[in-house]
Amino acid sequence: MADGKLEVVDGLKLDDELRKILRPGELMRDRDGRLRRLPRFFYRVPDWETALESPLSPHFETWEFLNVDVRETERLRHEWPRYLPCAVQLLASFLELLRREVDTYVHIAANGGYRSPSHRLSTHASTHCWGTAANLYRVGDDWLDDEKTIAKYARVARKLMPGVYVRPYGHGVAEADDHLHLDLGWTIVVPHNVPGERARREDPVDEARAEGSGMETGTGTGTAGAGD
Amino acid sequence: MTATETETKDALGERIAGIAEEAGAQRVACAWYDYETRRDWNLCGNEWFHAASTIKVPILLGVFGSAHRGHLVLDSRVNVRNRFYSAADGKPFRVESGRDANSEVHRALGRTMKVNELAYHMIVTSSNLATNLLVDLVGIDQIRATVRELGVTGVDLRRGVEDERAWEKGLNNRVTAKGLISVLQLIEEGRAFPSDDREKALLSVELSARMLEILHDQEFRSGIPAGVPDSARVANKTGEISTVAHDTAIVYLPERKPYCITVLTQWEPGASGRSDTIARVSRAVYEHLTAGGGG
Repeated sequence: MADGKLEVVDGLKLDDELRKILRPGELMRDRDGRLRRLPRFFYRVPDWETALESPLSPHFETWEFLNVDVRETERLRHEWPRYLPCAVQLLASFLELLRREVDTYVHIAANGGYRSPSHRLSTHASTHCWGTAANLYRVGDDWLDDEKTIAKYARVARKLMPGVYVRPYGHGVAEADDHLHLDLGWTIVVPHNVPGERARREDPVDEARAEGSGMETGTGTGTAGAGD
Repeated sequence: MTATETETKDALGERIAGIAEEAGAQRVACAWYDYETRRDWNLCGNEWFHAASTIKVPILLGVFGSAHRGHLVLDSRVNVRNRFYSAADGKPFRVESGRDANSEVHRALGRTMKVNELAYHMIVTSSNLATNLLVDLVGIDQIRATVRELGVTGVDLRRGVEDERAWEKGLNNRVTAKGLISVLQLIEEGRAFPSDDREKALLSVELSARMLEILHDQEFRSGIPAGVPDSARVANKTGEISTVAHDTAIVYLPERKPYCITVLTQWEPGASGRSDTIARVSRAVYEHLTAGGGG
């Protein structure tokens, strides 16, 4: 599993170029203009071999979520390491449930797993930039390119996780007609033993608990909530 | 041009017109450029025709032009997705797999193929899916700009292929016989993307050579190649829809410099003998150029 093999990194400590590409912790507008905060913590995937050999769940390998085309920024196509938001682990777990239910292969499309905010298709805060969305183009021998087949597997997905978002069938904006788009929303995963958040002036912080407990307070430039 | 040459060329025009009439073609245009004699000739060479799949040669030029500019790398991978937007109304459409001569690109749906591989399938097996993926990637405007900057006239790219709604509205890709000849000349002469920069100039030669290699691997050989001897090597691209049948080629003969030739034909839907007519026109041009008429 990823926790066992892939190192977790703080996106804020990556080099300038990568921070510009991945925009850790930055705000991005969704299709309706609402601000969403991008993930800060990523799995570092050192090389292609690791991507091939590191399952995120029993039947989903890391590479399946990294499979992008020429529309992704060059650094994330031609160079290693590459990065996946930690919430991809939740997505992989959900897809594993789906796979068990349908008892056959579930195929994620190219550009249909994680896409960086700099990907040419990331014109808004798509959940693909959070690593929580998957575009499935094929399940077993079924190609998901018609309303009936897409609806069939959408029903299965909703049964397994009622809160999962399924993009409606259709030909317009925010609809899909040649794949099944599933996502877990703008979910962010903060793994254990990573640096805490820096409190912003407007953030309320539970100072009462911090005082006398040895915890850092939210004031000044320190970090808050670093412990469990 | 001497009087004898003029007479020979007029005789060629008459012969081609006779072939067209005999076959029942509505219209025929033909143009050639001969590197052996550095002469050219055309019959209705500036008349516009629906381009059908011959438009894929200018698209190839546009894609490789994008590579020359550094906008893309031929080894870059492209998501194979069968969903495009009509030039007529912006609504999505798909390429029907049953109508596409190539199944390999359809088999890659959901996955990726390299730009170079898509370019190969676009020409060699005339894959419509590969064509639309490349047009989508590079952009109509960019391809048009490349063609325009190279001074090519007689090529009017307006959309991808199998865009039925655009077709119903009369929004079609068009070519002239002379237009396609000028595209072939750029490729054959290795000067598709001229540059003062030495490295860029070398890259232009390299990219032109690759385009030529692709054209040489053409699988559809019943038009121009069928009209020349087996000893000839032919780099060509055909184009067919219900009302037109075309072929455009560079013909390499032993012990002689090559010549570029385009044959465009228009027919009643359902007409037969279309490829054979192109082959007969090709034969006429071959005999004209090698029988001492020389152009």
